[in-house]
Amino acid sequence: MNNSSNRIRTSIFALQAIMVLICLVVLGRIFYLQIVQYEVYDELGDQNSIRQEYVDAARGLIYDRNGTLLVDNQPIYSVTITPLNFDSENIPLLADLLGEPDSLVTEMVNDAKRYSRFRTSKLITDVDFKVFSLIQENLWQLPGIGHQIDSKRNYPAPLTASHIFGYLREADENDYKQTESIRLGDKIGKSGLELYYQDNLKGDLGINYLKVNALGQSLGKYTEQKIAKPPVQGDNLITTLDADLQAFAEQLMKGKSGGIVAMNPNTGEILALVSSPEYEVKKLAGRIDKEYWQFINSDSTRPLFNRAISSRQPPGSTFKPLMGIIGLHLGIVTPETEIYNSGYYMRGRPYKDLADPGLYDMESAIAHSSNTYFLSVMDKIATSGKLNTWSKLAKDFGLGVPNDIDLPSANRGILPDSTYLDNRFGKNKWGLGDVLNFGIGQGAVSASPLQIAQMTSSIVNGGYKIEPHLLRAVVRADGSIEQNNTTKKKIEWVKDEYLNTVKKGMRRNVLEGSGRFYASIPDVQVSGKTGTAQNPFGFSHGWYTSFAPAENPEIVVTVFLENAGFASISAVPVASLILEKYLKGDVERQWLVNYVLNFVPKEDNSEASAGQ
Amino acid sequence: MNNLRNLNWSIFGAWIVLAVIGLVAIYSATQGPVSEFLPDYIQNNFAKQLVWVGIAVVFVLCFQFFTPRSYMQLSYLFYAIGLILMISTFLFGTEINGAKSWLRIGFFNLQSSELMKIATILATAQYLTSRRDITAENIRYALIAVVMILVPTIFVILQNDFGTAIVFLALIPVMLFWSGLPYGVSIYIVSPAFILYLTVFDWKLGAVATILVSFLIFMVQKRVWLTVTSLVTGIITVVGVNLALTDILQPHQIARITAFTNPAFDPTGAGWNVIQAKTAIGSGGLLGKGFMEGTQTQLKFLPEQWTDFISCVIGEEFGFMGLGLLVVTFLFLFLKLLRLAGNHKHPFAQLVTVSVTAVFFIHFVVNIGSATALLPVIGIPLPFVSYGGSAFLTNSLMLAICLNMDLYKRDFSIYR
Repeated sequence: MNNSSNRIRTSIFALQAIMVLICLVVLGRIFYLQIVQYEVYDELGDQNSIRQEYVDAARGLIYDRNGTLLVDNQPIYSVTITPLNFDSENIPLLADLLGEPDSLVTEMVNDAKRYSRFRTSKLITDVDFKVFSLIQENLWQLPGIGHQIDSKRNYPAPLTASHIFGYLREADENDYKQTESIRLGDKIGKSGLELYYQDNLKGDLGINYLKVNALGQSLGKYTEQKIAKPPVQGDNLITTLDADLQAFAEQLMKGKSGGIVAMNPNTGEILALVSSPEYEVKKLAGRIDKEYWQFINSDSTRPLFNRAISSRQPPGSTFKPLMGIIGLHLGIVTPETEIYNSGYYMRGRPYKDLADPGLYDMESAIAHSSNTYFLSVMDKIATSGKLNTWSKLAKDFGLGVPNDIDLPSANRGILPDSTYLDNRFGKNKWGLGDVLNFGIGQGAVSASPLQIAQMTSSIVNGGYKIEPHLLRAVVRADGSIEQNNTTKKKIEWVKDEYLNTVKKGMRRNVLEGSGRFYASIPDVQVSGKTGTAQNPFGFSHGWYTSFAPAENPEIVVTVFLENAGFASISAVPVASLILEKYLKGDVERQWLVNYVLNFVPKEDNSEASAGQ
Repeated sequence: MNNLRNLNWSIFGAWIVLAVIGLVAIYSATQGPVSEFLPDYIQNNFAKQLVWVGIAVVFVLCFQFFTPRSYMQLSYLFYAIGLILMISTFLFGTEINGAKSWLRIGFFNLQSSELMKIATILATAQYLTSRRDITAENIRYALIAVVMILVPTIFVILQNDFGTAIVFLALIPVMLFWSGLPYGVSIYIVSPAFILYLTVFDWKLGAVATILVSFLIFMVQKRVWLTVTSLVTGIITVVGVNLALTDILQPHQIARITAFTNPAFDPTGAGWNVIQAKTAIGSGGLLGKGFMEGTQTQLKFLPEQWTDFISCVIGEEFGFMGLGLLVVTFLFLFLKLLRLAGNHKHPFAQLVTVSVTAVFFIHFVVNIGSATALLPVIGIPLPFVSYGGSAFLTNSLMLAICLNMDLYKRDFSIYR
């Protein structure tokens, strides 16, 4: 009895002691968390309940030189996701509301997870307003899902200019790993001006601090201390484009393959730049139509390829005026030097000359495109060991060097020198036969329409190297305007007398040479030079580079048409119409427009046309 | 009958204090500024709990008109009915939060395991104290008592309610200890849990604990065989836990344990609750953020904050003072109840009171331990504080029984 009541007392005491001890441990733990580690958890608590929300900045607008709006923004509806709060079991419901298959939605959710489990990103953009409303109504069932109104590019002007504007695509993993300021789902420029001027156009993201609950539901703005940063609109771009001219040039290129560059030879301002066939940048504006994307990527005509700046073709006879200038500079010929054309130039093998047999000085050699004259000049350059000098001089006109145009993916072309030939054929494994062709713009010499336009500009602007460019000015969100100051540099060795001789020849080319059928415009003195790039796979490619007025030119137009045969009946009328449109404001020769629109390439002998 | 004035009003008062703290916290968690985001049935929790507390107060007072003899005699019947309810729940029960422990009776969702706690305590106590010669020192009687507790435990486990299973299992050492199990053996049967807990953090801690516990057992009971057994059991526990953590357990189970020892390892997955709970409590500071002002509570970062994580609400909004008051109130209740047990002459009354105290205590430790990351997260309500009608009523009933036996302690016949 005594024993057991003893045991009871001991047991009660033991139990009480254990409980007091454990409660002290608990109190100590609470003290540690709430008093000792208060600062740590207080900050964690703030991070938990206050979420940063980015506010998209409106992307900058794009205008033409006359203030016509070319690219602006249109609201679209997007669904966002914060993977942390999203329950994958809700995928079927979400897919149902979106009207998309489960598998696709799962894929999209996984993409978002890969980007970040904590940060909100766009799940799907450009959804129908009806779908958007449905999602909105059912948000309570879909923790982690949000909605957002943002914008897509809109193209209000009646022109395409896809290769100039370029398209936007949602940033992918590589993009957002590069820059902090890019989030998954953000649209960034992937080509054209959108890419080149991405930093200007994108603007600055705004930041909002929101109170949120664990479901990610916003409970309104968080106003204490931290002040939200408002978004800054992207810079507007004023381009050098002439919207009317661009639209007209695009119309003329319908159904054709090739490129057009129209620019101011004195400033390098691009007035129109067309690459055909074109893709429709509009179709890539909102949510990308996968089928269309695959189509333009796989189509054999390569609509995404910018032929105006990226193609690399032998310039053919359009290269002859530059050959003349170099010949004069090196003292190989004088303006008065006459060279006899017997119908072919004989050097190891006969080189055909389509110009009528007879004596040619430089002017008439350019006017009638005599191969013999320029082959003989090249012959003398090569045999006197001046190939590299020739190459260097030609490069001063923008050939074979990177182009400064403010578009991505401009091709530098090829202007061979001994190093190039050594690399291509092997040291001492090339000879005169590989070089002679360069004199008539064939062989390894190649350039883009943009480069030929630039070369022509330097010839007609008094020997200045200009930077072709599309940006005229940047208008910042605060209203300040920054002009795009490009350089204009005199090419030291070029003398006016060389240029005048060559320009006279180009004027005569229009009056009496290959341009005589279609090039002339009433009341305007047009000059130009045709060319043909040999094409082993079919009809030759036609070149025409022209300028007007002959004295004090205001515009250079270079046209390159693939598989068009004779340039004189294909590329020439196109350039001529563009000149007329620009200089006269309107086109009177409607018959020529119809001719161009209905043009079908003709060629009886592509071999024979070489050097035209 | 005895006058209600003789009721132990300090225990009654502590009970009311806890219920009020609970009501305040439930109100804050479900009626706060952002409660609009919560489903209706949760928004009604405060009103429902208020009704339950009212019913319980009336019930506890009315219960005092019974005499202990009535439930002593009926305890085996209660046990049988309880088991039938448990089986029914297992067969026809509804599942809430993954645990199939609710049985729908009319409008009322009954959590049968709560009632079973009382029935098990009463029946086992009745058995262990029914005859003078029955003591836990006799292995046969001890085993029968263990089986009486284990049978309902198995059903609780089948219901997927591991928190409650732990409470049942904890009854075994407590009741056996009170029924005469030697101190050394009592320590021995509790020791694996202790060693296991430490081993999860570091096997060396577990090893040290094994040696200390064995030494303690030797000091208390001076039995070499028991000391050796304790050592061997301890070593097996340490090795077993290590093997389980490396080879046996599934990755998601290991993740839960890692989440406990190192919540930052997977902050959005298994560690989420631990981090959120610590954040809520820690950010409360000394005085808390104020009623309905807790950002973590109001912004619903914590799941189940009106039940299992209610201490986070109190900790965040009322700080160390609030949570400290809660702990001190509980401790007061436990010590008072144990004193009641010590005052009893009748072993049944002693055993039931001690067992009830143990049940409350285990609930308290596991619940607060989970919220403060002293223990892995085990879903178990805080008695009288967490939302839940079944739990509040049955806990109140247990308290009412303790109060009732105290009120009638002079009427107990004395067997020995």
